[in-house]
Amino acid sequence: MAGNFFAAVGASVLNLCAEVGGILTLLFRVLICLLPPRFDLDETWRNLHKMGVRSVPIIVLTAFFTGGIMVIQAAVFVKKFGATSLVGWGAGYAVFREIGPMLLGLMFSGRVGSNNTAELGTMVVTEQIDGLRALSIDPVRYLIVPRVLSMIVMLFLLTILGDVVAIVGAALFGTVLADVSLASFWVSFSQNVHVADVTHGLIKAAVFGFIVALTSCHFGITVKGGAVGVGRAVNNAVVAAALGIVLSDYLLTYALP
Amino acid sequence: MISNFFASVGAFVLGMVEAFFQALSIAGRTFRGVFHPKGRARGEVLHQMYQIGNRSLLFVTVTLGALGMVLVFQVCLQINKITGDQSQVGPEFIRGMVHAFVPILTAMMLATRVGAGIAAEIGSMTVTEQVDALRMTGVDPVDYLIVPRFLASMIMTLVLGIYATVIVVLAGALMAHTAFDVNYNVFFVFEKITWGDLGVGLTKLVVHGGAIPIVSGYCGLSTTGGSEGVGTATTRAVINSSLTVIILDFVISAIGLMTVQSGT
Repeated sequence: MAGNFFAAVGASVLNLCAEVGGILTLLFRVLICLLPPRFDLDETWRNLHKMGVRSVPIIVLTAFFTGGIMVIQAAVFVKKFGATSLVGWGAGYAVFREIGPMLLGLMFSGRVGSNNTAELGTMVVTEQIDGLRALSIDPVRYLIVPRVLSMIVMLFLLTILGDVVAIVGAALFGTVLADVSLASFWVSFSQNVHVADVTHGLIKAAVFGFIVALTSCHFGITVKGGAVGVGRAVNNAVVAAALGIVLSDYLLTYALP
Repeated sequence: MISNFFASVGAFVLGMVEAFFQALSIAGRTFRGVFHPKGRARGEVLHQMYQIGNRSLLFVTVTLGALGMVLVFQVCLQINKITGDQSQVGPEFIRGMVHAFVPILTAMMLATRVGAGIAAEIGSMTVTEQVDALRMTGVDPVDYLIVPRFLASMIMTLVLGIYATVIVVLAGALMAHTAFDVNYNVFFVFEKITWGDLGVGLTKLVVHGGAIPIVSGYCGLSTTGGSEGVGTATTRAVINSSLTVIILDFVISAIGLMTVQSGT
């Protein structure tokens, strides 16, 4: 029993090291392809559309309700102290710095990251990647780098959109649920939320995009064993992306102003 | 261009509505299955509780611990700029965790891990025609596959949520003490939590825990095609269960604000 336990712990630690090593190797290969930048431009353009434009509805929906949830939390606090002038500040600060990038990053990982893993995994299972190699096309240059770049750019841009939608949602729900007028929301928001809060969140978003890209590509191209393997890879990819997002959020919160 | 845009929005909405009603039908059959336990394998609920609960323990500990530290850091940073009075951070942080942040963050994490796992597993079974084999032997796949996961996930999300609250509060106290010199006695004040807060928090955990396996089980059962289909199903499970959690959280928060938390 005890031996089993230690064997399981050891196996999972070794597995963790193998995955982290794989992701870092992939990172290195991606960086080599970017210096000097040589990758497929058409594929990048296609991915920008697929990952960015197609994710707009889900991001807007998430952000709208996130703003609502944040304003409700602020309202619970405000009702006790009667401090309606704090609602705009509280919602704006929380959405821009933490909750916005975090929840949008998780949704992006669910929508785009896992889709990407499934797509690359299917390519591996149906031997399309081997086909590329046989034509002496580097899969990293042709498939991975465009995806990595698209995810960084698009999560950054989608977070800008999401921030705006979340604030609009917070203002609307604040009027309906917490009796905070739009004017006082706006005054509190515009006087207390600074550009630094927005950039703080946007830098986080770009890093989250990078993490989602690396984990989803790594688990995608290392798929083994048919349909079951693809499902398992997607599962592992989203878990790894969520872990990466939370841990890097922790580190970035210290590092950024 | 413009009509394309409206067409895609319309397709998105129609898809959502259809998925919503199908998931609702699965939910109805799941509720019925809970009270008419036939065709459910023995010990399956316990097995699923292990799969969903114990195997998410490390994941929840790491993610929620880091989040607790980050949230306290951001709040203290802001308070330092304005008043410098850190005495209210602990009580309000603990209260906010109980009724708001822990339920949604734990559920989002579990939607990622558990939702994707359920969809991948059931999706693989659908693609390899194991689900059809179940139907042939006269067993409803909802009774056999989804009901045990539904029960297990509801129980385990509740348990993990309570555990996560402890982790978050400990991590937050550690951060407040080391980075901002907040005394532990000042931080650990639990009197601010009302019964309303506790009720809202626990209700959220149970509802989210029940919603995740229904939504992802629906995505798994509606898988078509081979390995590509399983991948798509898993993707849809993650995104739909996360979105369901966010919307349900919003609804329960709003109801809670207007009823049990209105006086406080």
